[in-house]
Amino acid sequence: MADDNKALAQGLKRRDPDLLDQLIEQYQYRLFRYLLYLTSSRERAEDFFQETWIRVLERGHQYDGKYKFESWLFRIARNLVIDWQRSKKMQSLDALLDPEEGTPVEFAAENQPSPLHQVLTAEEKIGVHSSLDRIPAVYREVLVLRFQEELGLEEIAGVLAAPLSTVKSRLYRGLEALRGAMQGSAA
Amino acid sequence: MNENIHARAEKLIAQERIEGISQAERDWFAAHLRECAACAQAAQQTNDAIRVLRAMHVSLPRGLAERARFRLQLRAQEMREREPQRRVLWIMCAVSWALGIATAPYVWQAIEWIGERTGAPRLVLEFGFGLWWAIPALFAAAIVVLENVRQANERDWSGR
Repeated sequence: MADDNKALAQGLKRRDPDLLDQLIEQYQYRLFRYLLYLTSSRERAEDFFQETWIRVLERGHQYDGKYKFESWLFRIARNLVIDWQRSKKMQSLDALLDPEEGTPVEFAAENQPSPLHQVLTAEEKIGVHSSLDRIPAVYREVLVLRFQEELGLEEIAGVLAAPLSTVKSRLYRGLEALRGAMQGSAA
Repeated sequence: MNENIHARAEKLIAQERIEGISQAERDWFAAHLRECAACAQAAQQTNDAIRVLRAMHVSLPRGLAERARFRLQLRAQEMREREPQRRVLWIMCAVSWALGIATAPYVWQAIEWIGERTGAPRLVLEFGFGLWWAIPALFAAAIVVLENVRQANERDWSGR
């Protein structure tokens, strides 16, 4: 695995077009899904998807192969979303970074069903979709990284640039919130 | 006492899935779930939530990867075109600095000659010479600083 990552790092340094094609193919689903959960918008998720790969091309030399590529990829994507959010000044960045100290960020408008909700409920009529949509974005994010992307706790901490304790705390709260939201849906 | 037991079980429900639990905790937890319907239900709900979360599917927009590849090709081409410009800038900077050193004695002679003709104080001549000689170095320093600033801006993306 370490050798694979090193080879990947060298390829990214060379800006190897075949490698980039292969990476896009391999990670398109996971990256888009992550961005969709993060932004709650298919259009925005697609914009960030394109932009993330541009960053991978431009800054591929910064990937050193010591960590999983997907952690680095998700981190780039996340930073783009945060930058966009910062530029829009729609919400306090501090709230996204440290939800325990403020109101957690929700990207989707509160008074209307989010595109995520619409897309997901259209695809699968299961209560967890709307439940997931209702919980704060910061918790949704760690739940997705942990249980969908199967990232380890330290890898999630790397993606979020947050201490391990924060990741754990968000996961505990997120799981609790998800269970609560599901119970609410079922009721 | 009972509340403590349920609180411990509640904690283990999440902990088992987030951090993992020891075998002793697992044994205790399993025994408790057999006896407590409420905790067993809570554990089942958590399991269901995670199972469905894992099974959820998102459809990709059509042509998503193709559009990304196309944009990457354009950007890669732009970068290839810009690369020689940056190299030329560095070469110019190095040549300018080397010329500054190589021509310094002749320039000083010329400045001394001007000083003799105009009667300017020696301090002014020395300052003028110093400034003339420092300009390429300052130019080089400015480029290095700008390059460092650019790299510092990129550092946020490095992740680690």
